[in-house]
Amino acid sequence: MSLSALDRKLWRDLRGSGVVVLAIASIIAVGVACFVAMRSAYHNLGEAKDRYYARCRMADFSVELKKAPLSDVSILGSLPGVTEIRPRIQQFVTVDLEGVDAIINGQVLSLPDEHRPIINDIVLRRGGYFTGGLEDEVIVNDAFARHHGLGPGDAVHLIMNDRRREFRVVGTAISSEFVYLLGPGSIVPDPARFGVFYLKRSDLEAAFGFEGACNQVVGRLSPGVRDRPDALLDRAELMLEDFGVASTTPRRDQISNRFLSDEIRQLGTFAFVMPAIFLAVAALVLNVLMGRLTEQQRTTIGTLKALGYSDGALYGHLLKFGVVVGLVGGLVGCGFGHLLAGVMTGLYRQFFELPKLENRVFPGVMATGVAISIAFALVGVARGARGVLSLEPAEAMRPKPPEGSRVTWPERIPWLWRALGTGWRMILRNILRNGRRNLVGVVASMMAAALLVTSLMGGAAIDRGVEVQFSLIQRSDVDLGFRDTRGRAALLEAGRLPGVDLAEPMLNVGGTFRNGPFEKRAAVTGLVPGARLTSPRDAEGRPVAVPRAGLALGKTLAEHLRVGPGDLVVFEPTEGRREPKAVPVVAIVDSFIGLAAYADLGYLSGLIDEEFGVSGVQLRVDPRPDRRGELSRELKRLPAVRSVGVREEMIASIRKAVVDTNAAATAMMVAFAGTIFFGTTLNASLVALAERRREVATLLVLGHERSAVGRLFLGETLVINGIGTLLGLPAGHALFWALIRTAQTDSFRIPTASPWASFAWTMAVGLAFSLAAHAVVARSIARLDLQESMRIRE
Amino acid sequence: MSLPTTRTGPDAVSTGPILRLESVGRTFRMGEVEVEVLRDVDLRIDPGELVVIVGPSGSGKTTLLNLIGGLDQPTVGHVWFRDRELSRCSTRQLGAFRRDEVGFVFQFFNLVPTLTARENVQIAAELVDDPIDVDECLRLVELSTRADHFPSQLSGGEQQRVAIARALAKNPELLLCDEPTGALDYETGKLVLSMLWDVNRRLGKTVLIITHNQAIARMADRLIRIRSGRIVEDVPQERPSKPEEVTW
Repeated sequence: MSLSALDRKLWRDLRGSGVVVLAIASIIAVGVACFVAMRSAYHNLGEAKDRYYARCRMADFSVELKKAPLSDVSILGSLPGVTEIRPRIQQFVTVDLEGVDAIINGQVLSLPDEHRPIINDIVLRRGGYFTGGLEDEVIVNDAFARHHGLGPGDAVHLIMNDRRREFRVVGTAISSEFVYLLGPGSIVPDPARFGVFYLKRSDLEAAFGFEGACNQVVGRLSPGVRDRPDALLDRAELMLEDFGVASTTPRRDQISNRFLSDEIRQLGTFAFVMPAIFLAVAALVLNVLMGRLTEQQRTTIGTLKALGYSDGALYGHLLKFGVVVGLVGGLVGCGFGHLLAGVMTGLYRQFFELPKLENRVFPGVMATGVAISIAFALVGVARGARGVLSLEPAEAMRPKPPEGSRVTWPERIPWLWRALGTGWRMILRNILRNGRRNLVGVVASMMAAALLVTSLMGGAAIDRGVEVQFSLIQRSDVDLGFRDTRGRAALLEAGRLPGVDLAEPMLNVGGTFRNGPFEKRAAVTGLVPGARLTSPRDAEGRPVAVPRAGLALGKTLAEHLRVGPGDLVVFEPTEGRREPKAVPVVAIVDSFIGLAAYADLGYLSGLIDEEFGVSGVQLRVDPRPDRRGELSRELKRLPAVRSVGVREEMIASIRKAVVDTNAAATAMMVAFAGTIFFGTTLNASLVALAERRREVATLLVLGHERSAVGRLFLGETLVINGIGTLLGLPAGHALFWALIRTAQTDSFRIPTASPWASFAWTMAVGLAFSLAAHAVVARSIARLDLQESMRIRE
Repeated sequence: MSLPTTRTGPDAVSTGPILRLESVGRTFRMGEVEVEVLRDVDLRIDPGELVVIVGPSGSGKTTLLNLIGGLDQPTVGHVWFRDRELSRCSTRQLGAFRRDEVGFVFQFFNLVPTLTARENVQIAAELVDDPIDVDECLRLVELSTRADHFPSQLSGGEQQRVAIARALAKNPELLLCDEPTGALDYETGKLVLSMLWDVNRRLGKTVLIITHNQAIARMADRLIRIRSGRIVEDVPQERPSKPEEVTW
């Protein structure tokens, strides 16, 4: 079947207005790409998580104990709602790798000597399960093994219970409980410094004296109880009270799961908010631009009406234009969105050790994207089409009468008007007489600027957070964590380590905070008076003295508990006699990582019935490499040390993790915002040029330079985009705060950062893309056929 | 609802006038002011006539043509096409009337710039069930060799000939031409006029030309003069000149 003449016209119209149509389609494409990318990444992550959890039989809860006989913990399995339990042994160890000076922390976990399906099962990546041979065998978590070039057959030395023991790697594995693997004290995964080592249960029993005992129980729940495990965990805690329950952890609080679930949840929010913003801009811009494109068809439509084409047929014809633009935008957006989803999923793969985390195609998401795109384009065309079709053919065939010649407001200010040159007068008149359509330009650039500010401020805030956390609050070079609470002697011993200039004790006590119905698990950090290596700060970055009695609570925790200075909060420690005690809140401090709370070390020791408890020591050390090496070697030999945190490494790993992700997100945002700036400006200018061809040609015939005429258009662009960008700065600032409110988790709080640098960059980006769009317009002016343009009827 | 169509070929036997206007007036509101563009117009055009309406700019010629062609409605009075009262037709019925009965030729051609000459004719032919063959139309206006050219590749005269072919393609009974030579030079204008003459004489179409060019009036079967919205003269011409005899 051959195309009708009307369809051929449609096809040629589309080809003829190629750049404009492409620019419009690209604006929709950006919105759709954003939608498809985020929704796909969301589904990729969510589905990979679900599959993986099911495959590994992910635990619904865990109970951490000092030590309990297996016969006693088996009672947990009989609790209603508990379908299965698995007692296991877990310990923190120091890892000694050949040729690696730095301290590496490790967690060892017991696995059955012979492979059988278990809760929190592992998935082997290389090698195999324990062979049952005589040699000491270990299965290493895959990320750590990859980072250190370890594989089956290699040797690893673990310092366990004061003994340095050699293990032979038989396999590498991943597990659903370590999708996001964090070492003690870190907030980003660092496979260089932390690994998980699976040992045969019999080996661990022997090494730590845990024959027939365990210090952790993981379990699964029936579907009804799974979502509300708290009452059950309270009962479990009571039942195992005698064995020193350190904590009970429902799956939602399990660290890896929490990070992963938070990320998925946030992505869900962003996947809704960000595309909505882009699509709103697209709808707005389309509405005007498609309307103007339709308006250009006015004479043709009038003629076709005169020939006898019905309104319905012509309406359908114009709507087809919208369908094609929408389809192009939608398909390009889907393709581009799928690629972006791949980039995002790839970034997630760096943080989340999820098997089969692949970028999949979700037909539903794509179809929705295309449908949204077409719908938006149709809405845009429908308005313009209605306008043209409502005209009688005789009127439509006449060119549109010139815009009104009303006096604009600057003209009423004589001194101002006189001060302006002819060029600026033309620019201002054109802008003000086409208020509505220019308003759309302003709104579009405002939205683009707002998105840029939001994205750039995210980066600035992360930098600021790292700076505050690691320059102001945490000022130690090395943090040592002890296996259990020690006394003064441990501090003195740490002070004598090679290269140590200053050693300050700290005591971390976990527990539950309660204020009426509000409850939160968190840890209190005890500091000595005048401590220099940890310095809690207020919102303005000023040091806050740790009260002699009472607590200085972090802002996030205080908000959770709805308490402020002067209030009492109940703290039930998980150590000592575990008696709930009412403690006054004395000050509120700012903190960006974790749920901070500080107390005087002596006061906190009292709460757990100790005189002077030390769970870790912070060190300031000699920075010279040889001294640092000496310290590392010495630390590896200290059995009491459970974890070693090195400030520089921590900062580096955070920066690496965050900077990579943020750079990708910012690049994406710059591209998206740029498309809006570029597309809107280009369209507005090209359509205006088409409408004012005769005026432009006349100016050129009169002898004006093409560049001078171009400057008239540039002036309009700069004024419109400039106003939009300026409005977008505070709007972006507000959007940033609205978004981070949803992005806030217990693990991170996003700090305030000065917005000025982001503002400056936003203006620069806006200007750059506006100028780029203008370059295309200038080219069109340069190529204008004067004779042809002068012949246009008016 | 579409109206029954009347198809007339050169040999058709016609009864009564094809067009009839009674006491027609048309007033436009321009801001605060009402402008009476046409008043008390009575007119009757018979099938197969070639009528030229002459008048200076602003005399109401185009408004009259728009009323006759169903592009506009009178403020007062009645317009009949045969026994169909156009002045009481809905927008949809007027559309159907234009589609089936009228071919338009405009001063500025009004071709669709993105379609070739052939396609511009085709776009009209596609509107009706029994169009004249598109290539035949182009042959009639001697443009067969230029059929695949776009309007921008054609001269003004050629474009107007495409417009005539387009008007013919629907095989309408009535051809309405608004200043068909207004945008053309003398020679080209004469060529276009001779084509309109052929359409009238050979195909038997009723042709109505409005123009401010007095000379063209000499080729009319009937000359109507219009001034300030009124018909001031309506005279049949016994011996109309052939287009080649017309000069200006």
